[in-house]
Amino acid sequence: MTTSTDKRAADPRIAWYRNVRILRVVVQSVFVAAVFTLLFWLFNNLINNLDRLRIGTDFGFLGRSTGFQIPYDEGFDPRSPVRDMVLVGVKNTLLAGFFGILLATVLGVIIGVSRLSTNWLVAKLAAIYVETFRNIPPLIIIIFFGFAVFTYGPFPVLSNAAEIRFPGADRTGLILSNTVWGIPSFLAGPNIGVFWASMAVAVVAAAVAFGWRTRLHERTGAPERRARWSFGVFMVVALAGLVLGGDAFSISWPELSETRRRVVGGFRLNNGFISVTVALGLYTASHIAEIIRGSILAVPKGQSEAANAIALTGFQRYRYVLLPQAMRIAVPPIISQYLNLVKNTSLGVAVAYAEITNLTLTSIGNGRPAPQSILVLMGVYLMFSLTISFLLNIYNRRIQLVEH
Amino acid sequence: MKRLIVLLVGLTLVVGACADGGDNASSLLDTVQARGTVLCGVNDVLPGFGIVDDAGNFGGFDVDLCRVVAAAVLGNANAVEFVPLTAGERFTALQSGEIDVLIRNTTWTATRDGQEGSTFLLTTFYDGQGVMVPEASDVTSIEDLADANICVLSGTTTELNLTSVFNSRGIPFNPVVYADNTGLRPAYEEGQCDAWTSDVSQLTAYKAAIEDEGGAAQRILSDVISKEPLGPVVLDGDSGWAQAVEWAIMATVQAWEFGITSGNVTGFPTDDDNVRRFLGQLDFEAGLGLPSDFAVQVISQVGNYEEIYNRHLVPIGLPLSGSPNDLWTNGGLMYVPPYR
Repeated sequence: MTTSTDKRAADPRIAWYRNVRILRVVVQSVFVAAVFTLLFWLFNNLINNLDRLRIGTDFGFLGRSTGFQIPYDEGFDPRSPVRDMVLVGVKNTLLAGFFGILLATVLGVIIGVSRLSTNWLVAKLAAIYVETFRNIPPLIIIIFFGFAVFTYGPFPVLSNAAEIRFPGADRTGLILSNTVWGIPSFLAGPNIGVFWASMAVAVVAAAVAFGWRTRLHERTGAPERRARWSFGVFMVVALAGLVLGGDAFSISWPELSETRRRVVGGFRLNNGFISVTVALGLYTASHIAEIIRGSILAVPKGQSEAANAIALTGFQRYRYVLLPQAMRIAVPPIISQYLNLVKNTSLGVAVAYAEITNLTLTSIGNGRPAPQSILVLMGVYLMFSLTISFLLNIYNRRIQLVEH
Repeated sequence: MKRLIVLLVGLTLVVGACADGGDNASSLLDTVQARGTVLCGVNDVLPGFGIVDDAGNFGGFDVDLCRVVAAAVLGNANAVEFVPLTAGERFTALQSGEIDVLIRNTTWTATRDGQEGSTFLLTTFYDGQGVMVPEASDVTSIEDLADANICVLSGTTTELNLTSVFNSRGIPFNPVVYADNTGLRPAYEEGQCDAWTSDVSQLTAYKAAIEDEGGAAQRILSDVISKEPLGPVVLDGDSGWAQAVEWAIMATVQAWEFGITSGNVTGFPTDDDNVRRFLGQLDFEAGLGLPSDFAVQVISQVGNYEEIYNRHLVPIGLPLSGSPNDLWTNGGLMYVPPYR
């Protein structure tokens, strides 16, 4: 293909300063050079000024002791180095991010589909939800949970916590207070090895079942039902292992310490974590709901009509016709919602949740150098974002239309 | 945290812009005098030291010291622009040139002096860290605080002291950490913390505030677990500005020692050359770059140390006499070099 530009570029009679091809290169080089000069100038200034103030520019502080105790992390020794503090911050950010994404996805899909419901009440309730949460800044929602629900809310103080028994249980299964909640958790029992072994066997068995169904389908044309078969085989083998192994798990029940100032045992959730996770889950769900709704509406109407024409049920219409096509459209914007949610966990500083931003700011306040600390922080968020988009892009590529 | 990023950019840009001159650059003193205002970093939520009233005016002990600096350097105590800062932001603000001087109940420590690019000038308030509990609590000493949730501000010496003192005594605890007192106070009052640790002066201020506003009665434990010398801070490497701020503030203590108050400073009856020199009545030039009548401006517009203290700290329950902040002649620690 030959364009007029190429013709002109090749024409020796055109002066170089009017030659589009040369001009493009020149302009872009100048731009790149300008950007790099600016960056270099900024960096140089920073280094010069830090030197002038005799503030270090190295990362040696990562190896020095943290100095302060991290909230709700009894295992953390304040004498351990700052890099351990960073790891605790990363862990807490990931916890809030993971459970937030889980909540946002489940809720978002339900509400997104509900908004398209032919049931007037369901559709309107979903619309009200979306319009409410989408239009409140996430920080306000977090502060609402942190202060209205916990600090000033209905929950008793820890020493007077509500100790709730599940029906039929002989001990406290749930502790509710305005600071820490305790729920039962699983602990590895003496025969945990048997459990892991049976899990491994179950995975292999499931894979075998998967392959068998595929071959059967190819040979005889019988329905594949690979997922159903694999899952069934996996569950049967895993459960068998669990029953035969015995004592693979013990349950750890939460209880108040003797001083009644701490919850011991079980899985402990603190007010900051709950506020951040629930608030961001609810907020992001409103965005995901809109993405889901938009994606379903973007599937050509003929698809839906065709599904009706072959008498699929409402569920089948969504499961086999609409959602698979809608997901192709929905995944990229949902990825950015996930990234937003993880980044928004930095708002946890408002409710004293010990995520990475909060800990970094505390550490800077306690004399760690700000530029280097912020660089580490930026690196951590970049890593989160790249990992999430990498994983989801793999998924995205899998579900895209493949043209043979 | 957005603010911190802004500060960081400021660090590269603002300080950067005036950095090329580097060491031979003129003193901040000239810059401030040319600008006509002092940029003073203060607290805005601490009763007694630095707080904004309903009308939006700053008031308090530290705030008055900012006004002292403005009166001495510019001859006008109102030529101050107050910059409210959280504990975590304060040193970055100083480093980036967002403020000229930091007077925000800041404890003088070796690390801060050495690593934050800052210079501490003098101690204007001798404090110590204490612990407050509700009157109804059965805690009587910090040994009773095992497993307790303890409210503490982040980025403070208090947070570090709490950790090291409790750890060395083997008392397990959980910190409840907020960046400012607007988050911390409700957490404490609503029982999310079993105790609140801070400088005794702050606890006294909040005890008074909570009780006045109809909250539960409070009790400050007798344990004092640290030394907290609070004072003004300037940037390293500018001795001209540092000396100006230092002597401006020391004038309030000197005036107190001479018995000069805002009421009697005009026409103060004296034949003492020491006093007359201090009041700029002799042909004397200390070479500090301050106007010869700076002490008169400070005392007439703001007052001496005792007046400032009585105005802000006595009402919140911090008596002056008998405390370490009393004049050295009364057995306290307030002692300044002679002005001659």
